[in-house]
Amino acid sequence: MQYELRTQVIDPPRKTFDHLVKRYGDRPASRYEEGTIDIQAKENFHYRPLWDPEHEIYDEAFSAFRLTDPYSFTDPRQYYYAPYVTSRAAMADAVAATLDYLDSRDLLSRLPDAWSSVMGELLVPLRHYESGAQMVSCDIARFGFGTTITQCAAYAAFDRIGNAQALSRVGIALGGGTAELLGDAKTRWVEDASLQGLRRLVEELFLEKDWGKALVRLDVADRLVYSLFFAHLDDAAIDGGAGSYSLVAQHLSSWFADHRKWVDALYKAWVADPETGAANKGLLASSTAEALDAALEALRPVAARVDELVGAGAGASLESTATTIRETVAALTD
Amino acid sequence: MTIAPKAPRKLTMKQRYEALTRDLDWEPSYVETSEVFPYTEFEGIKIHDWSKWEDPFRLTVDAYTKYQAEKDKRLYAVLDGFAQSQGHLSLTEASYLNAMKLFLQGVTPLEYQAHRNFAYLARHLNGPGPRFAALCQSIDEMRHTQTEIHTLSNYNKYYGGFHNYLEQHDRVWYLSVPKSFFDDALTAGPFEFLIAIGFSFEYLLTNLLFVPFMSGASFNGDLPTMTFGFSAQSDESRHMTLGLEAIKFLLEQDEANVPIVQAWIDKWFWRGYRVTALVAQMLDYMLPRKVMSWKEAFELYFEEQMLGGLFQDLAFYGITPPKHVEHAIAEKEVLSHQVYWTLYQFSHAAAFTTTFPDAEAQSWLSDNYPGTFDKLYKPLWDKEARNLEAGGRHFVRGLPQLCQVCQIPMLFTEPDDPTTICQRHSEYRGEKFQTCSDGCQWIFEREPEKYVQAWLPVHQIYQGNCGGPTVPDVLAWYGIQEGDGGEYKGSLDAAHWARWHDAADHSHIGSEA
Repeated sequence: MQYELRTQVIDPPRKTFDHLVKRYGDRPASRYEEGTIDIQAKENFHYRPLWDPEHEIYDEAFSAFRLTDPYSFTDPRQYYYAPYVTSRAAMADAVAATLDYLDSRDLLSRLPDAWSSVMGELLVPLRHYESGAQMVSCDIARFGFGTTITQCAAYAAFDRIGNAQALSRVGIALGGGTAELLGDAKTRWVEDASLQGLRRLVEELFLEKDWGKALVRLDVADRLVYSLFFAHLDDAAIDGGAGSYSLVAQHLSSWFADHRKWVDALYKAWVADPETGAANKGLLASSTAEALDAALEALRPVAARVDELVGAGAGASLESTATTIRETVAALTD
Repeated sequence: MTIAPKAPRKLTMKQRYEALTRDLDWEPSYVETSEVFPYTEFEGIKIHDWSKWEDPFRLTVDAYTKYQAEKDKRLYAVLDGFAQSQGHLSLTEASYLNAMKLFLQGVTPLEYQAHRNFAYLARHLNGPGPRFAALCQSIDEMRHTQTEIHTLSNYNKYYGGFHNYLEQHDRVWYLSVPKSFFDDALTAGPFEFLIAIGFSFEYLLTNLLFVPFMSGASFNGDLPTMTFGFSAQSDESRHMTLGLEAIKFLLEQDEANVPIVQAWIDKWFWRGYRVTALVAQMLDYMLPRKVMSWKEAFELYFEEQMLGGLFQDLAFYGITPPKHVEHAIAEKEVLSHQVYWTLYQFSHAAAFTTTFPDAEAQSWLSDNYPGTFDKLYKPLWDKEARNLEAGGRHFVRGLPQLCQVCQIPMLFTEPDDPTTICQRHSEYRGEKFQTCSDGCQWIFEREPEKYVQAWLPVHQIYQGNCGGPTVPDVLAWYGIQEGDGGEYKGSLDAAHWARWHDAADHSHIGSEA
């Protein structure tokens, strides 16, 4: 049984906005759709940018990757601002719970020395990699074409600074509540031979003007970095008695799984486009191959250093991730 | 096993924030810094030490997401409850929604533009402190875009004028006023954008541009918009402190920055002030229940708080009140009347309605504008009253000439003579250009190569770029439907409003097991 509450019902003359009716038919639209689809201005821009008079304010020519209709891509997570921050608030709570636990049991200082070195020498410096990834993502958020894409990139940029801050908090905890270890980690990022390839990769990525290529280049590097540090080493750490490494790694690995959903969906939209699909396929294949060569070169010294410290088969894992990337891109673009 | 550190020096809040944000930066060595940040030189601004930037707020990503998620939960609960209970019927009057139509068509797309360009600053400013502050603002602006759309989406289901706001923002004549304003800022360099939007729009003029809509909502039973306004308040106060820090930082970095910043303040004050013309008429004519007059708002929020407060502080750096501010002050008695009188006559080509101010409204106008209303504007309405009696509501069938800079029809009068239309002419590359005021003319002549590019809606209609040569052709191209514009009395909105209220009187709430 349930009670029957009578309320006034007025049949609304309209279900949603015109641009959504045109696209999806006369049906109520979701909040994701109302807040995302067609929002980027389309025409009659008044002036050209002083800093780039060759382009309009929003211009598909900012990338060689094209979609006939940029809104053929939508975020499979359907993130608009409210669900995005809600999801990230929950992630932040989980990270905080882990850090509190590590702190209360003094777990980081009980790490085996070699794993403590992996964290201090290699993991914590990745906060600079994340910070670089934030800048690259901001460029995509500004110069990308179509709100469905740029919205994902803007949230990704915010995620990356969040990741950088989470790694920094690990560094502070590892440094006994001080910023000393963060200082060391920065020196390592700038000076350690094992990290210079990765730093160079990030710096060169800052100069990539084509946002689509920048996205692919960053994604390829991300897949290698995340697979090595937050999947492969997660397992190895548990085997090596460094469970607290794994407690940290789980958060970044689950963030990355969430993040890759939109990147993968965008690749699929690129190659499936009835008009631009063929060109996009070629570009995706060549950009990925190039990016993979560069990223492998950058990361092999990192993996080698990991293996020196903990002998975890990091080098082999890196090559195997590269093979997976080659195979997935081949499956998409063949 | 690692040995526990000896007596660690715990970080203060400030050190911790710096370690978590600014310290993430490093000096590139594999590529040139000037290649990484290619846009921060050409404007002539000199920054010697980016580390001198004082973080205007210290919010880490985890704190931000938790706080914002909580606020959104509350806001969306209000939106859902309002929609479910047919809350729109408790507005003062359906005509109130004209203010919100103007807001969705004119302001919401600007929030989005701000989102995109703060992402540009979050990438392209050299300092990590300002980059992170810009990133927070960028995603805040996305929040405002979306919460505004979601707030007003429910009204769109029942009332005209909202349904095609995005396309209209790109096409319709009066909306090229806010669009060209923001396009102007987006196409400027990063520092000018900071002064244009971060400082002038978000700080100097926010109480005249943004807040009047929220106050109007609270006076007219628009609970969702009012709740949105309160919910955006803490974001806006962060944006205001960012704007203020930006200007102080630029001024403190190098004395040579002072004249550049002064010129931007001069330009963006006038540019933004001209956009407030639309707000002025909204406050004085569109709200069924008034909040305050434009004149009172201008005196309080601009003359007292900005000229009397902010600019006293900025004088320390050698900054003076904006050029042409005296013309804005002189206009406060006439601005809203002139603008509404024009919109009244052109609303058949707009996506909002207008109507004749009734006796009560006119007496309010007369009380609030004792020096001008009875003398200058009441006679116009008296004449219109006679037209109405004769069954002839007045609409202008021609097209107005627009100012080359602000794109408002040439309706403003000479600063010292409210009966003579002000027209300024400039020549550039052998062509003549019209502007509406000394302020707009000065802006034009500073950067004529920019303003000659403007997409002027009336020119475009004449050139055949707007759907066809006749008014119905153009309205179809605007996506304006029956009931969107014209006269409010007898409109579709007014008819629906009456019918739904009639039905509401007979409704009852019962509960049955």
